[in-house]
Amino acid sequence: MNPQQAVPPRSSANGFGRRRVDRETGTRMDNNRMHSGKPTSPNFGLANGSKVGGVAGPSHDRLIYIMTCLIGQRVEVLVKNGSIISGIFHSANADKDFGVVLQMARVIKDGSGKGQKPINDTTKKPQTMIIPSRELVHVFAKDASLSSDEFVNGHAREKHNDFLIDSVISHPHHVEVERELEHWIPDEDVPACPELENIFDGMWSRNWDQFETNETLFGVKSTFNEELYTTRLERGPQMRELEIEASRIAREIEGEETHDHHLAEERGIYFHEDFDLDEESRYSAVRREADDGRYEENENSFLDAHNVETFRGSFGSAASRSYSEVLSKQVNSEALASLTCSSADEDSQVPADKDAHVSGFTDHVTWPTSDSLVKSSSLMDEKNRLDEKKTKDQDAEKILLNECTDRIASEEAQTSKSEDVHPSTPLKGLSASAATYDPSSSNQINKCPAGESSDSAISGKLSSANEAVNTSLRPGFSTSSTSEHVGAGSVSGGALSPSSSVGSLSSEKSTLNPNAKWFIVLFIFDIQEFKLNPNAKSFMPSASLRQHTPVSDGSFYYANTSHMHDISMGIGVSF
Amino acid sequence: MDGANGEEFAAGCILAIKTTLGDEFEGQIITYDRPSNILVLQEGTTKPGARRNLRLLKANYIKDFTLLGRGEDPLDPKKCFIDLAAIQAREDAAMRQAEIEAERIGVGVTAEAQSIFDALSKTLPVRWDKTVIVVMNEVRVCSPYLPDNVSGGTPAANERVKKVLEFERKRLQARSPGQF
Repeated sequence: MNPQQAVPPRSSANGFGRRRVDRETGTRMDNNRMHSGKPTSPNFGLANGSKVGGVAGPSHDRLIYIMTCLIGQRVEVLVKNGSIISGIFHSANADKDFGVVLQMARVIKDGSGKGQKPINDTTKKPQTMIIPSRELVHVFAKDASLSSDEFVNGHAREKHNDFLIDSVISHPHHVEVERELEHWIPDEDVPACPELENIFDGMWSRNWDQFETNETLFGVKSTFNEELYTTRLERGPQMRELEIEASRIAREIEGEETHDHHLAEERGIYFHEDFDLDEESRYSAVRREADDGRYEENENSFLDAHNVETFRGSFGSAASRSYSEVLSKQVNSEALASLTCSSADEDSQVPADKDAHVSGFTDHVTWPTSDSLVKSSSLMDEKNRLDEKKTKDQDAEKILLNECTDRIASEEAQTSKSEDVHPSTPLKGLSASAATYDPSSSNQINKCPAGESSDSAISGKLSSANEAVNTSLRPGFSTSSTSEHVGAGSVSGGALSPSSSVGSLSSEKSTLNPNAKWFIVLFIFDIQEFKLNPNAKSFMPSASLRQHTPVSDGSFYYANTSHMHDISMGIGVSF
Repeated sequence: MDGANGEEFAAGCILAIKTTLGDEFEGQIITYDRPSNILVLQEGTTKPGARRNLRLLKANYIKDFTLLGRGEDPLDPKKCFIDLAAIQAREDAAMRQAEIEAERIGVGVTAEAQSIFDALSKTLPVRWDKTVIVVMNEVRVCSPYLPDNVSGGTPAANERVKKVLEFERKRLQARSPGQF
């Protein structure tokens, strides 16, 4: 192999001559004839050209190759007197003789035999050593790589090593195999832990005013006024009355009936069906306010009663007004436009059986589950249940119906008809829209959501409505899942505190028919959209409930009006 | 033994060699260079591609050898490529590494002192100043590196160095009893 560099090599180690290394001072060279020098760059010592190549042929080439491979490698050189020198292989002269140059070389083992060296021998700094050929016995390289692959790998490896891994830093060659572990005893003179217990002593004694201190130390004037953040209590006779009044109110609130399980638990109200709730539902699961048949009859009554109670005095235009407000607020963020199904489709299909629909609607308006379209006995059960509340909810229904129809109408007329209460027209509209879904039973679905909306409207508790809508609506889509009772009551569920009962609908456990799989079709529409957007897209059945059940009537439909998301959950029974 | 005598070994032969110095090793021949009389042996018959121990032996030191067998040529001429840049880089890295290590070694100090230095350097920043161990650039420990020899620095630092020193001494003694 020809030398790649044109550097004038030190052709022969022998001819190098003795030289003291500059950097080392006062170090005795243990081995005679060790030279020190500063090599400049790696070379092969084939100073005089490539003469060698032709002489020895391939075997020499191999030697050269191997020597090249060794460059940078830590090697040990055994010399004639038995000493071993360890260093980094820098270059070698393989011309006539074989001498090597090692950098950072140290004598590891001294075999000069100049008497037993005491253990406390002085250590030496590594230096560059040239080992002439006649001294050299052998060069031993441990873990040398010979092929290019190894080069690459090794190089990469060393590159990593350059990053000074921890073990490198902690002197691996001084590694201790075994360490005696001793129990740690704190030093006596080390100050013991400051009394942590005492640190906060007197903190509450108000002897220390932080603002004062701050001002003293740093001249910082504070404008802190505690009363900005709290109400000052004046001790005195009036206080007592206020306290009494406050307690009364508190008791009232806490004693309220609630269908929200969390609240109920706090107040100590235990639903009799509580055992059905597992820990997850009680404390951890997200409440999707969809009814799922879990809603019990009594709960229904509860709900109805509550609704009625809450809105006792407000049925009527006021209620309807509130409805629209409520609904609009509710549906603002989400909105299923279900009912938005709207005019376009309506017109196309006017079911003949709208009467039936209407009645169905009326019946089931408040009860989402009941509106399951499935013609099944369980449905009938639901119907029965609904019938119970029907009377109570009639008003609410009507109002809701009005709302629904209003919306639909508003699409065309763009007028807010919240004041309007025309049972007939709303029903028509609804049924019409319902019809669009599915002549067979979709009306019920329609009603259902309408009922839902009314419920929610009735409850008038919108706060959570939006969230409920959001959360419930989304999953609602996958109504196919049997247990997915996406918050039909979503709107309502969120809205009501009794919505908890509605929300319980979403629970999978149906008390009506354990074998029945309920899913809720919920249509939530955006009132505002209706009012403002005459072009609100009419719903179109996107897909039928992928129920392998006759209920496939219930179909998903969504409106693509601006921000309306499709959330139609079908409540039905599949078996 | 005459270097040129019977050394016409093909690459790949496995020999057991005894040297005049009394060493014995076995290995597979990679090459033999006649002009320089160097026999290159490969020890560790691992699969090719892995790293192995190389030995470049001056043939005239071979006292005796035995042919153990014949194997393949461990060096595949077709695959012998050298990346000079990589080699250079490797050498530089090795140099740097060695220099770092060299810094830790005291010149003209006893091995015991070096051990103490190494032990201290694990947890404290230490450096050599001739034969004095300088800890944290403040505390100096001079020969014979007993706790009494600790001087300088803040009292806290001083104490700490003393303690570490004592501890290290004890540990060293425990590990190699009788050595110190």
